[in-house]
Amino acid sequence: MRIAVVVQRYGAEINGGAELHARYVAEHLARHAEVEVLTTCARDYVTWENELRAGVDAVNGVPVQRFPVAHPRTPEVFARHSATVFDQPHSLQDELEWLDSEGPTSPALLRYIESSGGRYDWFLFFSYRYHHAYHGPRAVATKAVLVPTAERDATIGLAMFPPIFRGVRALMFNSFEERAMLQHVAGTRLPGVVVGIGSELPERPQPERFRQRFDVKDPFAIYVGRIDENKGCKELFAFFQQYIRHARDRMMLLLIGNSILPVPDHPMIRHLGFVSDEDKFDAMAAADVLIMPSYYESLSMVALEAWGLGTPVLANARCDVLKGQCLRSNGGLFYEGYAEFAEALGALASSPSIRRGMGRNGTTYFRRHYAWPVIERKYLQMFDELAREPEAQRPSMAPLPGYFARRKKVLPPGTAVLSAVPEGAVLP
Amino acid sequence: MAEFTVRADAVDVEQIMRQIRARIREKRGVDYTEEQIQELAKIRLEKFLDPKGVRSDLLDQFRQTAQQDVPPTYEFDDKTLIRSGNPLIAFVRRLLQPILKLFFSPNPLVHALHVQTQINHYLLERAQRDVLVYEVMHNLVVEMTRTGIEVKNMQMRVESISSRLDFNERRARALEAVVQYRPDAVSERPALRDRDRDRDRERDPGRRQPETTRQADAGGGQHEPAASSPVDPITGGESLRTRRRRRRRGRRSGPGFPNDERRATNGEQEPRAAGDEPGPTEDERGERRATSDELEHRTALDEHRRTSEEHRAATEDERGGGEQEPAGHQDE
Repeated sequence: MRIAVVVQRYGAEINGGAELHARYVAEHLARHAEVEVLTTCARDYVTWENELRAGVDAVNGVPVQRFPVAHPRTPEVFARHSATVFDQPHSLQDELEWLDSEGPTSPALLRYIESSGGRYDWFLFFSYRYHHAYHGPRAVATKAVLVPTAERDATIGLAMFPPIFRGVRALMFNSFEERAMLQHVAGTRLPGVVVGIGSELPERPQPERFRQRFDVKDPFAIYVGRIDENKGCKELFAFFQQYIRHARDRMMLLLIGNSILPVPDHPMIRHLGFVSDEDKFDAMAAADVLIMPSYYESLSMVALEAWGLGTPVLANARCDVLKGQCLRSNGGLFYEGYAEFAEALGALASSPSIRRGMGRNGTTYFRRHYAWPVIERKYLQMFDELAREPEAQRPSMAPLPGYFARRKKVLPPGTAVLSAVPEGAVLP
Repeated sequence: MAEFTVRADAVDVEQIMRQIRARIREKRGVDYTEEQIQELAKIRLEKFLDPKGVRSDLLDQFRQTAQQDVPPTYEFDDKTLIRSGNPLIAFVRRLLQPILKLFFSPNPLVHALHVQTQINHYLLERAQRDVLVYEVMHNLVVEMTRTGIEVKNMQMRVESISSRLDFNERRARALEAVVQYRPDAVSERPALRDRDRDRDRERDPGRRQPETTRQADAGGGQHEPAASSPVDPITGGESLRTRRRRRRRGRRSGPGFPNDERRATNGEQEPRAAGDEPGPTEDERGERRATSDELEHRTALDEHRRTSEEHRAATEDERGGGEQEPAGHQDE
């Protein structure tokens, strides 16, 4: 079986959520099939400049073909198109222009996909919102499997995407919430399975090693990831500082990751910066709780890793996916405001039995659903089922409307569509 | 979907979250969401903007101002009337302008329209400012509503704490009373008294009997207060005799008494060394002495009484029993 993984950026040093997801999946599927990665020469997701060399390369033993991007992103043009499609009634042509301005537009990549359809059994497209994942499935619809990595934002309200969701052979969802959202905008039940992503956890993490190395004596909560306002860190800092002013239990907040937001100068908040994977996993195992303050996550790998290591999670309940994960795993609490944050963190800090119980549940949840053998099996089963699917039952990709139909400004703003999408965790 | 759920451990996240929310409600009184606060604020804003005596459509005016599309303004100067895109026409108009002035005076018209443009500009700025004012007012009312809710909750908490404080004070008083009326504390002093009385009786059996008879006669069949109520309700167990005894000790513990703790020099108390524990009060010291030195003291008193009676008997023998006992001895 030959599988092409098509993704907007690819590389060992590229750590974006969807890109990392694609790399992990490619590397693990490479144990069972011939996997080749088709991607662009871009490294930066804002400019899409051609920084990497076009041609064949290999990353961690997986062959990679890079294609040049036709033009970098112009922020002003992209902002203007975004304002049109998200906030005003618009046409399909406006959406196509928005997609082109978003990038990374690589006609060479699309030509290759179209011409080499016969070489691969399956094309695994990552991130529905990008140029390659819209035009690629149109070129090889009968072999297209989409990993949408969709978040709850206005892009999901654009009218150009539902035909793609309905036209691919299957979708590999990250969460039940994502599936519910996409099925709502597509207006039908979509073929696919909730898979997510696994993680390579150490067999025996050593919490004490971390405590000694970083001289941490107190109990602590941990945040792992980019320290950014968009990730909810500003709110986390405010809540935590308020919490420790009134809390009975002494608890520190440790931060791991690069900082874009200034970290408050407080004796109970410590920023460790970027650390090795070994230290990261030791720290997560040593922590009393992992805090995930992000509002938008399609699947939090960090939360899954924490559960895998037996650490409970305290998540932002405004993120449906995180809340749903906490409820389904029985491995974490969630908060919608400071009062809930303080109570939940207090409950976790003061009760070792709750922490242990949630940690155990989290570990069970991770092993049962997010261990790599499980993920690999789900992908392989899906390919097997799709291969055996009768041709009559296969979905068909709707063609693009004609010239004039594409230019009719009849489509509602993306934000309006999004506001109609039901919110909330999908409860079992 | 069900297989995705873990129910292995006794921990139930939903239940914990329900408990957490219940605790928050308990603490806050009422749990308002952000939407509810906004709704309350909206109601208050409408109330605020629509009181009797003020324009009832003020709110609508504000909203209309915020929402309406303001038409674009224009510029008007002395050349506007004769300006044209066509240079030829503009030239002819300029050429004929003196002739036009023969028919009417365009200057006041130009001036009026120029002033109007300035007024238009001012009004536009004002309209934009009104939007800001509305925003500020709205935010103020939101904050005020939030603060009002907080104040109410605080009041509830203060009331709760003060009632708990009252209860604790009452409880403390009740406990103190229980300690004062402890059976062993009450029975200790009568026991000592009985012991003294027995000792006196042994020493001077002939004298004790008439004294009790005299007391009974003087009382007219009524009991003496100390006898009828051995425990003083004010002093908490101290009899009048104990208090009298303490007063005497107080007098005796002036300058010149070696065992006195005060060791007063020139009548003043010696300053306490820094870091010393605060010592007992005079009453407490008296109380302590009354309990620890009581036996010794009573023995001294009995000795003294016996000496004075012997002395009185000797004096009576000498003087024929005509003179009275000295006042100081009567006290004893």
